[in-house]
Amino acid sequence: MRWNSNLAARADTCTLGGVIQSTALSMRESWKVLTRSLRDQRRGLGIAVLIGVVWSAAKIAVPRLTQLAIDRGIAKRGPLWGWALLIVLAGMVSGLFTALRRYAAFNESRELERRLRDRLYEHVIRLHIGYHDRAQTGQLMSRASSDMQQIQGFVVMIPLTVSNLVLVIGVVVVLIASQPMLAIIALSPLPLINLLSRRFSLKIHPTLVTVQQRQAQLATVVEESVTGVRVIKGFGAEDRQEALFTTEAEAIRTNSLNAARIRSAFLPGIDVLPALGQIAVLGIGGHRVLNGQMTIGELVAFNIYVALMIQPLRTIGMTVAFGQRAAAALVRVGEVLATNAEITSPDSPTALPAGPGGHVRFNGLRFGYDPDEPILDGFDLEVPAGQSVALVGATGSGKSTVARLLLRFYDPQAGSITLDGAELHNLDLDDLRHNVSVVFEDTFLFSDSVRANIAFARPDAPMADVERAAELAGAAEFVAALPEGYDSILGERGYSLSGGQRQRIAIARAILADPRVLILDDATSAVDPAKEHEIRDALATVMHGRTTIVIAHRPATIALADRVVLIDGGKVAASGPHQVLIDSNERYREVLAAWAARDAEETDDAPDAAQAVVG
Amino acid sequence: MWSGPGVSEEDKLDADQARSVLRRMLADARPHRRQVRGALLFVFLSVIGTLAGPVIVRAGIDHGIRAHHARALNLAVIAYIVVVAFNYVVGRQQFVYINRAGESFLRDLRLRVFHHLMRQSMAFFDTQKAGVLVARLTSDIESMAEIVQWGLLQFISASMLIVFAIGLLMVLSWELTLVVLLVFPLVIVASIRFQRQANAAYLTVRERVGSVLASLQEGLTGVRVIQGYAREREEIRRFKARNAELFAAHRHSVKISTWYFGVVELAGVVAVALVVGAGGWMVHRGNVSLGTITAFVLLLSSLFEPVQMLSQMYNSMQSAGAALHKLYGLIDTDPDVVESDHPIPLPAVGAIEVTDVGFTYTGSVSPALTGVSLSIEAGQRIALVGPTGAGKSTLAKLIARMYDPTGGSIVFGGVNLRDAAMADLRDRVAVVPQEGFLFSGTIRDNVRLARPSASDAEVDAAVAAIGADEHFARFEAGLDTEVRERGSRLSAGERQLVSLARAALVDPAVLVLDEATSNLDPGTEAEVESAMEHLMRNRTVVVVAHRLTTVRKADAIGVVDDGRLAEFGTHQELMAIPDGRYQTLARAWARSQPMVTEPGLSRASAERALESTP
Repeated sequence: MRWNSNLAARADTCTLGGVIQSTALSMRESWKVLTRSLRDQRRGLGIAVLIGVVWSAAKIAVPRLTQLAIDRGIAKRGPLWGWALLIVLAGMVSGLFTALRRYAAFNESRELERRLRDRLYEHVIRLHIGYHDRAQTGQLMSRASSDMQQIQGFVVMIPLTVSNLVLVIGVVVVLIASQPMLAIIALSPLPLINLLSRRFSLKIHPTLVTVQQRQAQLATVVEESVTGVRVIKGFGAEDRQEALFTTEAEAIRTNSLNAARIRSAFLPGIDVLPALGQIAVLGIGGHRVLNGQMTIGELVAFNIYVALMIQPLRTIGMTVAFGQRAAAALVRVGEVLATNAEITSPDSPTALPAGPGGHVRFNGLRFGYDPDEPILDGFDLEVPAGQSVALVGATGSGKSTVARLLLRFYDPQAGSITLDGAELHNLDLDDLRHNVSVVFEDTFLFSDSVRANIAFARPDAPMADVERAAELAGAAEFVAALPEGYDSILGERGYSLSGGQRQRIAIARAILADPRVLILDDATSAVDPAKEHEIRDALATVMHGRTTIVIAHRPATIALADRVVLIDGGKVAASGPHQVLIDSNERYREVLAAWAARDAEETDDAPDAAQAVVG
Repeated sequence: MWSGPGVSEEDKLDADQARSVLRRMLADARPHRRQVRGALLFVFLSVIGTLAGPVIVRAGIDHGIRAHHARALNLAVIAYIVVVAFNYVVGRQQFVYINRAGESFLRDLRLRVFHHLMRQSMAFFDTQKAGVLVARLTSDIESMAEIVQWGLLQFISASMLIVFAIGLLMVLSWELTLVVLLVFPLVIVASIRFQRQANAAYLTVRERVGSVLASLQEGLTGVRVIQGYAREREEIRRFKARNAELFAAHRHSVKISTWYFGVVELAGVVAVALVVGAGGWMVHRGNVSLGTITAFVLLLSSLFEPVQMLSQMYNSMQSAGAALHKLYGLIDTDPDVVESDHPIPLPAVGAIEVTDVGFTYTGSVSPALTGVSLSIEAGQRIALVGPTGAGKSTLAKLIARMYDPTGGSIVFGGVNLRDAAMADLRDRVAVVPQEGFLFSGTIRDNVRLARPSASDAEVDAAVAAIGADEHFARFEAGLDTEVRERGSRLSAGERQLVSLARAALVDPAVLVLDEATSNLDPGTEAEVESAMEHLMRNRTVVVVAHRLTTVRKADAIGVVDDGRLAEFGTHQELMAIPDGRYQTLARAWARSQPMVTEPGLSRASAERALESTP
């Protein structure tokens, strides 16, 4: 999976923005991650090791039987086919256990990978939003893909390496038992295979990483050249891009050749070492046979044994290098798992009082994403149950922050928020979030059916409820026009909806959730004005008798609310009916006028508006 | 560890395609033929060296040990040492040669494809998906890298080894060879089945890796909605289901390789048993020597390993072939906006004559423009207005020769743009797109893109010419600030300033401007407007306008509607047309505009603004 490693290389060149924890903590955590994962799988891994032991025994038996067949069957002209049959039997055992050994090792390591990835996702998806604000998606993705891959690649080696060790030790014992001197001489070059494989792995790794980085850079050049092709054509900058591309292509070639040089320095040497052992067998062993100190069968067996050890020794060497890479991956995964969720349910949560409710109160609230730069400071607001309030303020005034605090995405640095008299941090998180729904300005739809997207808060909601919610949100019409209606899949691999349509789906989602408190965070900004009034009617129905906070700037939307609150300087600057504020508050007029100007320009290019103008 | 890239059915090449790809590949490798020949020679030598070992052991046993001839044994040992040394040297050389040839081939291919890509017209880029083009130059070529680095070498040497090993066995004892080859059909059938199943299994794994990553990405980007609706449990369940599917695919692919490895292992041992059984019987009868038996046992590994290797390599070879086929397809696409064979130099300044121009985008049935005629005097400023999709941007692009018109002609200073020298054209006409697209690098690099030969002083001057020097001087590193990916360190307005500075560096006679529709950050909005004003001074300007203020400053206004130039004239002239399109448009603008221009806001105007919002 090349693109995975590419992703990792790209990610690793970036800095770990703010997510990195203390290294000692992560080391401990990553060790815990590995031991816990291995412990979960100790049975399977144990079986894999046992299988490996049988495999080694069968592998060792074959040359030994061949030796006996040559000595007793061929050289001494004894019965032959019995030996041949025994060899075939050993071959069947070794064939079966070769298969089982591989299967057991891979199966266990993949299982471990799966569980670890599950754990990672479960952990991350519950982490506080403050973490997600800082974390880079690409980084977390490579934790779950390439890092997992490296860990799996190491874990699979554990049972394989154990059985390889058993095989190596077994062969050494057998050889020393039969011809100690020859064994020592013939085997002496073999540890070098292990040594060289390890050094090779370590040496080539940085070169390969460099190649990957240059490939990533080349990809960037290509990507920019393709997406920025208008600029390139406009200025005739094709040659400039080609020069950049050539630099990267040459660098890839140079670095790949460096890697080839490392390969050529190590691999032929690794290949040649066992042959040295075989020369010793022929030279020394041959003379011993001549002197009658050794049989010809033993000589052949020695030859086969030496060849048999090549593969295990190579993999043992590789395991060490794999282990080092896996350790680095484990530290990165451990870092994520060591991050504790800062927003959690209390141990003994307060229950929300029964009934419709929806009384919200902000008291002396202070909050900033950076605590030194509060966005809200001394924010007091009370919304009686069933009332609707429009929050109006300039960009960055903290309107959306109010919505996020009410969902307890963040905890305030000072002051308190209560819902129906209960402090938010005393409520069960799920309970709170079932009772407060926000329709965000940038709607997020999942690649799932329209139905599932609307029934997000209540997956088991009956179809009639889903349709009613869509109807109320003004989404029913365009959903019906989709080829598969409510079963149409949205998202990357499905249908793409316009911004306004997406917002209407999100509104339907909130309607279906039937919360005590509904927050509409600029929820109709992408709906074209011609259609907005339809939704406005729908919203009025939904808001009826429900506590609603509308973050808006279009006067018609503001008019939906019973009361308008102007946020300025981190606190409530004015409050009252829209008309009164327009008459009395200079700042209110300024804020609205700035928004209106913005809207006017944006709608210039909206197709509907343009058609209205021309047609 | 097996894992070859899979090839989907539709990507698989048929015999003819495979042959033509191979032929072209060999032709492309011609410049590196010395390396290729060297590589082939060393692969050949290494095969010989590998096979020599068992033959020497055989000689040592038969002529030395069995014949009780110590000198012959010593001779065999010395020969063995020589062969091993030979193998080492040859082994190193084959890496060097094959990689030099392969990497140079890859580099040439990369450069050729990219060069070709950059020569394609805008029409080409309109019809191709960016992701696909990027994949051609990255993953497609990288998928061949593996083949080039070691695959080709392995493939050739494995094939040679099989053929030569069988030949050698035949020479040593054809009867025994026939007996050993009894297990071969089993290995071959198993290999073919493995290769097919492994291909399918790998494709499934790849697809499911994609689905797990998609699910993960969705969870991470949608985490606010998930937590907002307390849906963590459900999403975790969904993710686990996808992850379990991936695990099942992994397990399936392991199963496939598992039985294959078992069968090959079994076949190898059965072959040894056959050699021992049948060979021993032949030794008894005096048909073969004990040395030959030994050589057979040792040579068997040279026979089975390469078969195993080939079956694993087959998929990689196929996918590399498919990738190469696609790349050649790209190289074979001829660019459709090309410089004429006898380019005519353009005058420094000149009028633009658009005569009866029509244009249809590739892949579209309805024309984007029909019968547009228009003349623009040197130094005149023209604003193009009209609804989205009416063709105003298309007209602007044709004037810059981003496309060639499908009918009619566009002439600058008496020269048809089709005949104009490309370099001259880029010097005379500069395009500023709606949004400033930045490339990674510094601000300076980005400005210099318009004229790579420009000195630092010239870049400074261009930035100063649009009045943006002070703005960028506020940055710690000034113009040497890295803009990061897509210019993410700069605001939209700052990116636009860079884009305008590029045009200033070209210092063109004609400026084609696509005005930004969306709002810029309030901080730089005024600066961008003044920069545009600076840039437009003393030039012929064609601006695709979205603001009334811009339109009002134009010498003439063209209303483009439904691919035609519906109205053309000055503001006064067009306003005089009863129920004219421009008139309607201008009124709509006027209603929403005063808010932007008048800082001291009266209550009345605020209310008027509010009323105007439908």
